[in-house]
Amino acid sequence: MSNATLDGAPIAIEDAYRHAAKILGGAKFPVVAGLATDAAGARAAILLAERLRGAYDHLASHEIFNDLDVTRSFGMFITTPAEARARADVVLLVGPGLTEHWPALFARLALGEPARFNDAAPRKVLWLGPKRNEAKVDGVEIETIAATPQTLPGLLAAIRARVGGRPIALNGAAAKKIDAYAATLKAARFGAVVWSASVIDGLTVEALQGLVTDLNVATRFTGVPIGARGGASSVVQIGGWMTGFPPRTGFGRGYPEHDPWQFDARRLVDSGEADAALWISSHDGEAPGWTRSDLPLITLAPKGAGAARGLYIEVGRPGETHDAVELAQETSSFVLRRAKAPSEAPSVAEVIDAISARFSEDVPC
Amino acid sequence: MLTCLSGGHVVDPVNGTDALGDVYFEDGRVVARPDGRKPDVTHDVTGHVVMAGAIDIHSHIAGGSVNTARLLLPEAHRAHKARPAATPLSTAGWSTFQTGRLYAQMGYTTVIEPAVSPHHALHAHLELSDIPIIDKAFLTVLGNEPFVLGSFRDNESPNVVQDYIGATLESTRAIGIKCVNAGGVDAFKKNVRAFSLDDVVPEYGLTSREIFQRMQRAVHASGIRHPLHLHMNNLGLPGNVETALGTIDASQGLPLHLAHVQFYAYGKEGKNGFSSAAAQFAEKINANPNVTVDVGQVMFADIVTISSDVMKQFNSLPGARPKKGVILDAEGNGAGVLPYSYRVSDFFNAVQWAAGLELFLLTNDPMRVFFTTDHPNGAPFTTYPEVFALLMSADKRAQWLSRLPADVVALTNLPAIKREYTIYEIATMTRAAPRKLYGFEDRGSLGAGSVADVAVYKTNEKDRAEMFRHAAYVFKDGELVVRNGDVARYTRGKTLHVKPQYNKTINKRLDTYYDDVYGLSRGMFAVEDAALPAPEAFAEVPCRS
Repeated sequence: MSNATLDGAPIAIEDAYRHAAKILGGAKFPVVAGLATDAAGARAAILLAERLRGAYDHLASHEIFNDLDVTRSFGMFITTPAEARARADVVLLVGPGLTEHWPALFARLALGEPARFNDAAPRKVLWLGPKRNEAKVDGVEIETIAATPQTLPGLLAAIRARVGGRPIALNGAAAKKIDAYAATLKAARFGAVVWSASVIDGLTVEALQGLVTDLNVATRFTGVPIGARGGASSVVQIGGWMTGFPPRTGFGRGYPEHDPWQFDARRLVDSGEADAALWISSHDGEAPGWTRSDLPLITLAPKGAGAARGLYIEVGRPGETHDAVELAQETSSFVLRRAKAPSEAPSVAEVIDAISARFSEDVPC
Repeated sequence: MLTCLSGGHVVDPVNGTDALGDVYFEDGRVVARPDGRKPDVTHDVTGHVVMAGAIDIHSHIAGGSVNTARLLLPEAHRAHKARPAATPLSTAGWSTFQTGRLYAQMGYTTVIEPAVSPHHALHAHLELSDIPIIDKAFLTVLGNEPFVLGSFRDNESPNVVQDYIGATLESTRAIGIKCVNAGGVDAFKKNVRAFSLDDVVPEYGLTSREIFQRMQRAVHASGIRHPLHLHMNNLGLPGNVETALGTIDASQGLPLHLAHVQFYAYGKEGKNGFSSAAAQFAEKINANPNVTVDVGQVMFADIVTISSDVMKQFNSLPGARPKKGVILDAEGNGAGVLPYSYRVSDFFNAVQWAAGLELFLLTNDPMRVFFTTDHPNGAPFTTYPEVFALLMSADKRAQWLSRLPADVVALTNLPAIKREYTIYEIATMTRAAPRKLYGFEDRGSLGAGSVADVAVYKTNEKDRAEMFRHAAYVFKDGELVVRNGDVARYTRGKTLHVKPQYNKTINKRLDTYYDDVYGLSRGMFAVEDAALPAPEAFAEVPCRS
């Protein structure tokens, strides 16, 4: 059973589905946004956006493109957390707050244990720009250099210069420390840099990958990206195989077009280009970032995250209240998460199917 | 419902048929001509060629690496036409949906994705599930994992890796085993930059030769019908025909499939130190009946290279066109994805194009030489009709040769080769031979009892490419899915897999190993019904009894 409200007042679920179908089916250019859901939910949502000739976007697109824009303009060296755990003899952490974005980070990379496949040499751990008191892990010695997200690119450039044997405009203790860092990185047999695109911007990610590229001239080095929130990594992959494109893709012309500016859901809503929105936020009920409040809105969010305005349909939490497939941070692969506390709340895919079944006949299938 | 395809030129090498005749099917299966019954539907296919649906044995159509290529190249797959009603996402460039549509339109009804890492099996299945119409399957990639290398180093019983293969096939639901640059992918993680047949993997003391031979024996002993599918060392390098010849010499008389061999048909002659060695290679293939090959033909097009050979892909990064790429070091095998463009004016690319055709034309057994472009590595699968036309016409090849750089023409045997493939030989290499290679009992043939996967092409001797580009009719499991080159109906195909017997005690050992090395439950990587959109759409391919 699901709960639904219209402008905060309870309505019957059947009426909610009909109302949602009416809003979406009658819209000229609806946007399917948020997209914080599991694989089945993302798939259903993208198919829905195509059927309605609307657009789809993800709530963490900004972070997604910090990584993806580097991949598709420059390239990327990556590895899985499992391989980094088993093989990385040098781990370079970059930026503050990494464990907020991936709480299991230290345990997953087993920073306190030697790398299994590198003759069990103790791992060297470096951290550029941690938060105060953040770089403390039991049994792990961490070499830190203080930096803010603003000063990181300059610091990375200096390290990259020293890795390449080029001079830098620093001296004294600062230069010495950078030289020591560069020496450690170059001496790695299989090094891994860890970053979160929720913390550093695209240019910093590119600087980081530039450093990794340079290190690969003489040794092996790679990267472990920490994916963005809200199932972003799953949605990028699913959009990739369904349409060729990640989020911020529209179907207005009858075929998929990708444009990170044009199909930004927030811009579409605030500019009035979109005339209806389906907001999907099934993990934690995060609210949309747009400011406009007069747009017909359908919110799919878990219990307790009901929307005061527009139509709200309760959905379950993927992997919590129902089985869900998602791209797992710990494996970098799609896995099945069994429900921890199964409930009757429908999944996003089930709700979208129910809405789609109630479209009038003039919406193509 | 009894359907009759009447009066066509039936080409069915499995049954030795190459004559005018009728084909009947009912309830999704081909049937013998029924006595005294009138067909419910008769299609007059006079002037058409009738074959079983084609089977592509090696085409990168799904999985993490293919998807990385899509995301790496947003510029490469724009759609230009709005989609028709009732065909979701069918014009989304290079999407899963479009893949099924385009294959079906050419009369292909089964396609094998050749390179899925076992840890990414679920991802591949999710994509395969979104490929409409055709049946599909994948090979899983083994042979560079520390578990296998450690077992070989420690001289354990061959049963260990054989059981590991059984367990992996069961948990991934794959159709066979591929091995990529045996040992070389692991060696690259230890900063080894070149790796040949007798080079040794650091820490394991094993040569690539030993690894592939042991994998070959283990796959054979497992009872699965598809032999080890081997991507050899030194792909793409000048003079690498020596590696290929050495690999065949090392093949122990056991079945072995060599993938995309065009990329290994290179000598070192000429002023560029790069030449076609296809004639020498073809002679070797002809003389070794235990070996099968697929060609991996190059065509002049913008493509993307997708490979589990991480070392090779890393070394190719400076030559990427445009210059970008993704290099993934993962558990065991990894992946490298980089764009490239084959140009007719490029000496090396032109030699590659010619070498592929030479291999097709100088080998003498279409049951052992398979038709592939290693999509998308050599060319997109949509170029198949052009490749068929080149194989079937020496004149057409001469026309293409006239566009090639003169120094290339001088370095290949192609101008002197007058052989033209017949329709029967084309049907052999795309239907009968794949049936045998994968041990299919229900497809690749028009014999009674086969699935009614049938492709009908309007005979066009002047323009073979046009003939094969747009099938007049395609039936999938007896349903009309393509009419006049357009998809008439979207159906869901099956995913094919094998499930050999193995000693299940290996699972306990593997569980412990995963806990120990990766700190992960091995069960996370298994493909379970609950994770699949359509768990009922699987079909098992039998093993040797």
